[in-house]
Amino acid sequence: MARSMERAAGYLFVLPALLYMLFFVGYPIVDNFRLSLFDVNVMNIARGDQPFVGLGNYKELFDQGVILTTLTNTLIYTVACIVFQFIVGLGFALLFSRPFRMAERLRGLVMISWLLPATITAMTFKFMFGTSGGIVNELLAMLHLSGGPVEWLVTPFTAMFALVLANTWIGIPFNMMLLTTGLTTIPKDIYESAAIDGANAVQRFFRLTLPLLKPAILSLLVLGFIYTFKVFDLVLIMTHGGPVNATQMMSTYAYKLSFDEFNFSQGAAASNLMFLVLLVIGFIYLRLVYREEVKGA
Amino acid sequence: MSQRQLSTWLLPVVSIVLVALFLFPVYWLVVTSFKAEGEIFRSPPTWFPQTIYLKAYTEQLSGSSYNIFEGFRNSAIIAFGALAISTVLAVPASYGLARFKFPGMHLFLLLFLVTQMLPASLILTPLFIQFKHLGLIGSSYWGTILANATAGIPFSVVTLRTYFATLPKELEESAKIDGCGLFGTFVRIMIPIAVPGVVVAMVFSFLFAWGDLIFGMTFIGKEHMRPITAGIYNFLGFQSTSWNNTMAFGTVSIIPVVLIFIFIQRYIVSGLTNGAVKG
Repeated sequence: MARSMERAAGYLFVLPALLYMLFFVGYPIVDNFRLSLFDVNVMNIARGDQPFVGLGNYKELFDQGVILTTLTNTLIYTVACIVFQFIVGLGFALLFSRPFRMAERLRGLVMISWLLPATITAMTFKFMFGTSGGIVNELLAMLHLSGGPVEWLVTPFTAMFALVLANTWIGIPFNMMLLTTGLTTIPKDIYESAAIDGANAVQRFFRLTLPLLKPAILSLLVLGFIYTFKVFDLVLIMTHGGPVNATQMMSTYAYKLSFDEFNFSQGAAASNLMFLVLLVIGFIYLRLVYREEVKGA
Repeated sequence: MSQRQLSTWLLPVVSIVLVALFLFPVYWLVVTSFKAEGEIFRSPPTWFPQTIYLKAYTEQLSGSSYNIFEGFRNSAIIAFGALAISTVLAVPASYGLARFKFPGMHLFLLLFLVTQMLPASLILTPLFIQFKHLGLIGSSYWGTILANATAGIPFSVVTLRTYFATLPKELEESAKIDGCGLFGTFVRIMIPIAVPGVVVAMVFSFLFAWGDLIFGMTFIGKEHMRPITAGIYNFLGFQSTSWNNTMAFGTVSIIPVVLIFIFIQRYIVSGLTNGAVKG
């Protein structure tokens, strides 16, 4: 195929999707930045005479201080989720990588929690963590583990805990699948020779399995961070950011500013700050993975 | 105990118990939707409904405040709309990125990879304003459909690009000898071969939009046009939540997910790993 032909064809195939994304994602990102520098609210949104305020919206966000609370909350939530998801995900991955009948099928079944709409999961966990009649409290009472009903979603620490638990449940299959893929790339004979050399199961796990899984673990942690940091539906439904911002996340706060208080430019500023955090993490991810992606082309 | 015994009965039994415990929330969701209001809050709880109570479902047919089937229809319109846009745009794009060399292709791929990671809340406010000017806010599905396709497109491009790249180049070469043009080769030869990959991309585009809450609840003002997720969100906002109704909503809305899972589980697993980690 002639060079110029190939170029033209390439653009022809790629451009429609690219233009779509530029129009519905690229432009909004730029516009979001513009919005954050003006004072746009429900009164002047239609008129178009919004005053320029420079970094005023950002300053106001930091003066109010909630933005820092949401940043801390989101980081705590994200790190806690990643740790739990990884541990359980790795456990499942190792378990189902053992050769037994039904391993494939059971591993598949675990995927369901990842596929369900987050709204449904959030609602189910909200119900299970209910103060009176919630199954979690009922179980604790049956096992004589609690002195009375725990008010899970209306106490700061337990509300965060419940959110982390719900999201861990969602994220386990993702971790399990990526680690399973990582495990299949480890050649089996390495273990055999290690066993001959007298390494026991624990040594084999820490000296062989974990180091060899490192590439999978790295991209898993970064991707997990990005996907977890974005949390919205789960929090909105389970706690609505409460009690008193104790579980308010960057995304829910930005939403609240824009669509509950109709302060569009502060909402834009808040989501830009969130974007900044993700950008830093995304950059790390691309350094880790993108090179491979291009090489594979 | 010998290694063989371990894998013939202990591992399967332990695994089944663990997976059953893991999936308990799904069971609890479905079971609760069939309980009467009084039984839901009984202590100790009943693990299975004493009487199967269908009122949470039948009530919807008599046209109460929020209609479950209306919500289902709205979610379906939104999800199929986003799926259609995403497929039409992403299939050629992924093929272009996999097969042709042109300036900027690495940058384009990078852009798709990055957009896959962006939070919806980042583009929400500008899109809201943009759609408002275009008249797509309020009583229209379009704003929600267009916004949801932005999740399906990058995922599909990244997943399918890998898929097309694994197909042998000889396919196109022999098609060319047989007199097939570039476009003809793509439509008549490549797409049919790539069907398994395309199906995975379509399924995920559908699922992303099916689970959407943020766009649907922000862009659609009319109660009777909102997706099932937004309906649930509204329902939970009331002081006294009617849990069996809410759980019935939930059960209905996971039906497509479970069906998809049953039929193409194998492909989903490969799709997830292809789209998420490449390397």
